[in-house]
Amino acid sequence: MRRFVRRSDLGIIIGCIFIFALFSLWNPQQWFNWGTLSNIGQYTAILGLLAIGQTFVILIREIDLSVGSVYGIVGITFVGLESSNVGVFVAFIIAMLLALLIGLVNALLVIRGKVSSMIVTLGGLFFYRGLIYVTTHGAVTGTPQAARENWLSQLFGGHWLRIENGFLLLLLLAFLCANALYQTRFGNHLLALGGDPASAESQGVPVNRIKTSAFCLCSLFAGLSAVVTLANNPSTNVSLGTGMELQSIAAVVVGGTLLTGGRGTIFGTILGAFFLTAVRAEMIALGAPPSWYISFVGIALLIIVTVNTLLAKRLKLA
Amino acid sequence: MAKTDRAGDPRKPLISIRNVSLSYGNFQALTDVSVDFYQGELVGLVGDNGAGKTTLIRIISGINPPTSGEVHFDGERITKFHPKKAIDLGLECIQQTIGICDNLSVGRNYFLGREPVKRVLGLPFLDKKKIRETSAKVVHDFGLRDTVDVDDEIALLSGGEKQTFKIARAVTFRNRVIIMDEPTNHLSVRERAHVNELAVQLKQQGLLVIYITHDIFQIHRIADRIVIMENGRKVTDVPRDAMSAEALEGIIRDGGRAPAKGPKVA
Repeated sequence: MRRFVRRSDLGIIIGCIFIFALFSLWNPQQWFNWGTLSNIGQYTAILGLLAIGQTFVILIREIDLSVGSVYGIVGITFVGLESSNVGVFVAFIIAMLLALLIGLVNALLVIRGKVSSMIVTLGGLFFYRGLIYVTTHGAVTGTPQAARENWLSQLFGGHWLRIENGFLLLLLLAFLCANALYQTRFGNHLLALGGDPASAESQGVPVNRIKTSAFCLCSLFAGLSAVVTLANNPSTNVSLGTGMELQSIAAVVVGGTLLTGGRGTIFGTILGAFFLTAVRAEMIALGAPPSWYISFVGIALLIIVTVNTLLAKRLKLA
Repeated sequence: MAKTDRAGDPRKPLISIRNVSLSYGNFQALTDVSVDFYQGELVGLVGDNGAGKTTLIRIISGINPPTSGEVHFDGERITKFHPKKAIDLGLECIQQTIGICDNLSVGRNYFLGREPVKRVLGLPFLDKKKIRETSAKVVHDFGLRDTVDVDDEIALLSGGEKQTFKIARAVTFRNRVIIMDEPTNHLSVRERAHVNELAVQLKQQGLLVIYITHDIFQIHRIADRIVIMENGRKVTDVPRDAMSAEALEGIIRDGGRAPAKGPKVA
């Protein structure tokens, strides 16, 4: 196991060291700037939380294309409820319950309906986005001032020792998830299911329960990511989270997790999210037009996955 | 009923299949099959492709419920068919292509579905020390190379070693029934001999071993009893000594000529 852990995220570890060194030498003033780094930390947290959830789903050979819309609808529900008088805490609980419900629906359709997760969640991508437009009529207010000062908003959106709380939350949850994945029965069952579903089932792994957990975790992380985003940045709009599903998948894959399931690490996913975020920040800092970012994600994805595949082959033969 | 010389056996059968039929839609995969299996017995289940061997095993291992008929395990009638139930009753089906996850280590595969845990701060974590030590001891007792490290991915083992591993795992979890589905396909001569030796040892330890194969000559050397299936029916059920391998092969060959073509249920 420890050998395999070392292997699957090797590419992204090298990639992160490389860009860190490159940016440090190329543009040290802007790179070693607390504002830049903490900004990168915040966006890494947002993308990283989404990508942790996506990792669980991809590890069991499924995919969740709905996370961008789930991120949107949960976030907008959270903001909307904050503006009513239920209080921030209740708003948070209801928003997370909504996320959980969406995860359950995805799992139900995949398991009972026997529809491929790509179709189920593609449906979700459109449906939840549409629901946002319908329910809000296209107009969303930001977080009200009172809610911004609430302890919960401060917990998810504030700072601690000048570090963004969202980033600390990401590290904490990544640590917990990595342990859940590699040190518990749940994790072993999940990896087994991703490696060989028929074999896992033959040994008594509760396949449906594991699948349900993975989809629920994925939606919950998407919802949490939205809460972290909005606790930090009160203004929002109906397109919140558009395209985030593909970025989260990119972060997972760049992080060394195989789309064929069974192999991957939470650590790699976090580095993948950091990698994509850091490069975007640096491109903006260097004055490259922001639209280049999308092309860059494509190129980075291809390079890193190719390197990962070659490395995996090399190491297997050795 | 089967007219074996066990008909008057005072021992109760461990598994008793009574008038079982199974159809998938219009296709009749099994027709009125009755057969008993006893503890401490090595039974060869032989027949051509599509004869119904695998279908019968799928019923015994709880994957499919029969359309009609009864299955009794240790005197108790089975009403709920589920793989988990079969596992709990101590039945393990060893198949060529199923049973191990290549992405996991040898030790993790060994304990898959039965992982030992230890509590750390009240939370259940995998007991990696136990996983490593127990699995290492068992796989080496069963004749795997000393160089096999149980922390390595199981994908590094050879085909024969994987089969041996599955048998070792099945046995040490105190199973009562081991079903081997074509266990020696694609194995080298030496590996094949090793797997067959293990099958005999399991029987001697008092387990029921059901050995599915195409190769009547191979199974005739080791089995106590041979059951031949054809077109979803049991056509022969004889003790090994009652017929020669050549005569049994003749039955399979003749049965293979007549049947109408139906969809294969492998």
